[in-house]
Amino acid sequence: MKPINDFISRFATSTRLDENLLVKKQNRYFLLNKNLKRHLQKDFFYAGTYLGKLKNRIFFPSFSLLTMIAEGKANKMIVDERTEWLFVCGRDIFKQGILSVTGSKRRGDYTLILNQHGECLGFGKILCNIDEEKGKRKVVVKNISDIGDFLRREK
Amino acid sequence: MSGKEFFVRRYEKLGWRYSKSKLKQSIRINTLNAKKADVIKRMGSRGVELERISFLENGYWVCKSDFSVGAISEYLLGLYSIQEAAAQIPAALFTGLKDKTVLDACAAPGGKTVQLADLMHNTGTIIALDVKRRRLTALSNQLERCRVKNTIVYQMDARESSRLNMKFDRILLDVPCSGNYATDRGWFRRRTLKDVENNAALQREILAEASQVAKVNGEIVYATCSLEPEENELNIDWAIKTLNLEIEGISCPGEKALTNIFGKEVDGSIENCRRIWPGQTQGFFVCKLKKRACAQ
Repeated sequence: MKPINDFISRFATSTRLDENLLVKKQNRYFLLNKNLKRHLQKDFFYAGTYLGKLKNRIFFPSFSLLTMIAEGKANKMIVDERTEWLFVCGRDIFKQGILSVTGSKRRGDYTLILNQHGECLGFGKILCNIDEEKGKRKVVVKNISDIGDFLRREK
Repeated sequence: MSGKEFFVRRYEKLGWRYSKSKLKQSIRINTLNAKKADVIKRMGSRGVELERISFLENGYWVCKSDFSVGAISEYLLGLYSIQEAAAQIPAALFTGLKDKTVLDACAAPGGKTVQLADLMHNTGTIIALDVKRRRLTALSNQLERCRVKNTIVYQMDARESSRLNMKFDRILLDVPCSGNYATDRGWFRRRTLKDVENNAALQREILAEASQVAKVNGEIVYATCSLEPEENELNIDWAIKTLNLEIEGISCPGEKALTNIFGKEVDGSIENCRRIWPGQTQGFFVCKLKKRACAQ
């Protein structure tokens, strides 16, 4: 549970996950519901909502977990349609593509990236103090993980 | 016993004249994650023209698209799945799926598992099985992308599903099959009657296991994308005569299944199954079975 909570806290928020419904399978974490918990057998491959995995002591979140974090009060940015497309292709974010910011604008902090429909596309790391940055064509958020990963995984 | 000429002649004996198929791409909107009207509007703004498929609740033909519909945000966010039109039929044949315990016995790559979760509104439990680990990874990616929450996946042969010690209200048997030429260009070159017979034998074993783990009055939907009667009508004829199962009537596109196979008469209730010859969709066979209360 600690790797998940530590990860969530990077977005200046906390999300309450019921520890009784959390299961770990090797290095992967899943959130069940009571129904699934009743049926779950130990040799399962996948169950309920996948939350992420721990690899070399680094937690890699699932997009389901990012969506759960984005539903609450957390660092997040809404980006325009062109930036959405570039971000999903693995690109970083220019200042001109940001439509609004909630929470931190500080260099070094983590932020979720949302499209104009409020859907979470992934997350990134803020590279400079956004308010102080004058150049519109300057990269201000480094892409760490985006939903384009679903396509890249298949290759 | 193989080759295009051999199989085409078989189809003629079954009353169908071979023709090249023109498959249309189709999607299924995941109503768990989005309203249909919103997805259609969003796709339209990207230049994707959709047309509702008359025989499906949430299925749409992709009439025009300048890019792959499998590479845009709406897809990656799980708002829809790319799913062949005929393949959207089986899951929709179950009744009252909400809160049920469902077995998807040959689940990967997971298109129908996601559809079941959608029809169940993420309630109840789906147990999804597949034998191959690599295919389980594809299945898991689908479940994550489409935000499915009610599924447990096991690496398990469908013929061993009684090892789970569970009984199921609904069972989907989208069994491994010989496929058909509409989705596989090299089909006629590769397939032999021996392959068909081997697949038919495997399918019978899966049917037998499913009849063991189904609850009384539980529904089993059996589907293949094979055109060969050994994997379809003849297997179902065997199942209803051997496994304490009966055929339920279904309402879906397709012709009544065959009751005379190369001169051999099968049970008349087989005509309640549906056979779809390739055209706009791939070839398909589907039927719904019910587990009887006691042996008759």
